[in-house]
Amino acid sequence: MLKMEHLRKNYGTFSLDCSIEVLQGRVTGLIGQNGAGKSTTFKAALGLIAPDGGTIRILGKDVQDIGAKEKQELGVVLSESGFSGYLTIKDIIPVLESLYEKFDKSFFQEQIKKFGLPDNKKIKEFSTGMKAKLKVLVAASHNARLLILDEPTAGLDVVARDELLEILREFMEQDENRAILISSHISGDLETLCDDVYLIHEGKVILHEETDVLLSDYALMKADEGQYAAMDKQYLLRVRKESFGYTCLTDQKQYYMENYPKLVIEKGTIDGVITMMIRGEAI
Amino acid sequence: MKGMKGLLIKDIKLMKNMRNSLLMILVIAMGMAYYLKDLSFIIVYLALLGGAFTSSTLSYDEFDKGYAFLFSLPVTKRDYVMEKYGLGLILSGGGWLLGTVLMTAAGWIRNNGAIQDNLMMGLCLLPFPLILLALLLPFHLKFGGEKGKIVMIGVAGGLLIAGVLGAKLAEKMHLDIDAVLANLSGLNMNLMTVCGIVFGLIILALSCRISMSIVRKWEF
Repeated sequence: MLKMEHLRKNYGTFSLDCSIEVLQGRVTGLIGQNGAGKSTTFKAALGLIAPDGGTIRILGKDVQDIGAKEKQELGVVLSESGFSGYLTIKDIIPVLESLYEKFDKSFFQEQIKKFGLPDNKKIKEFSTGMKAKLKVLVAASHNARLLILDEPTAGLDVVARDELLEILREFMEQDENRAILISSHISGDLETLCDDVYLIHEGKVILHEETDVLLSDYALMKADEGQYAAMDKQYLLRVRKESFGYTCLTDQKQYYMENYPKLVIEKGTIDGVITMMIRGEAI
Repeated sequence: MKGMKGLLIKDIKLMKNMRNSLLMILVIAMGMAYYLKDLSFIIVYLALLGGAFTSSTLSYDEFDKGYAFLFSLPVTKRDYVMEKYGLGLILSGGGWLLGTVLMTAAGWIRNNGAIQDNLMMGLCLLPFPLILLALLLPFHLKFGGEKGKIVMIGVAGGLLIAGVLGAKLAEKMHLDIDAVLANLSGLNMNLMTVCGIVFGLIILALSCRISMSIVRKWEF
């Protein structure tokens, strides 16, 4: 669906060099801190910026060759922009009908009603949650094959986030040939939704892993000086010095559980892995 | 074509927010038709405001990084430029048409010039909205709303200064501009009008090409 190989883009001192792949039938997450390069990656995937190097193929075509026809098959949420706040939902329905051949008006209106979005109020007067839901509904209501969602849950409360993730789950359940690329700074969203995740830091992909593997095989281990000295370090990805000794990140939890039963081993979480991958030191 | 249609609908919906201004403009234009001696000013006024409304839709798009989202929709940069020129022609051309109708009607009611003369005056002024759009849109697209206005004023000032200097130069070279203008007015008025309209259309087409090349380089 989407393949980026060494996508490069330079802005002053910031330099992006990113390779990611989104496969059919899968939800792929892109995680990273603010300024890590997530939005630049999304914009490059959509042809909104010209890369300085590398290749981007989307829906089987080079990104430079995608036109209005190919964009029919994309549903997009951008974190900082959307329809003008001076429009209402009633205004945007005919716009979407004109733009998208497969716009499902009845589905859209049904969802608008379901989520209690006012159709006669200017979008600029919507709450953050309402705006976010509208953006996702717009992206998911024209039978797109690929959704590209940059921070769709930003600023939402738990309930609104859950409702929004539900829309995405339903979108994927409807057709197994679809795919989603989603970024979020809330790891919980990605843990429950994504099949695989990329971790991007300072413009580089520093980790790519299946979510199941990350949650089952990765672990954070707390070791004192003695335990750390005796530990087999070949499966440690990152280590960080702490007041009590060391925190270590591994992708072989089972190995350490079996061989070092006295170690404090915490189940891997995306947040824990991100923190260690960014702040820990490679062995 | 679908992209252009969608964008056009969006702009028309956005213009609903300006309906009070539109109503006010219409009232002022009617006031002008009642009070002004030189009725041709109504055409210039309405065509100019049509251009300003077109320009304001660009500002709406620009606001809150809206361009990035617009171009993630099934819309090409070509669609976008063509739609803005189309909208400009509808609004500014519509202003011209309304102005011509008002001027002719006012002329007839107030017994101020023959209907045919007023219609001819309207046609003579048709290149105005065309040239206005041809200047307005590329400047806005290149420099954005605020800077674009400043650059436009600068260019208008520059053209005025160039005109004054040209007239002074002609005077030094002993060229009689009044005589040249008198000769021109002696030419066939219909031919002059057609030439003016063709000139306006050529300038507009050139402007559209320039705008395309500006927008093609846009990054978001």
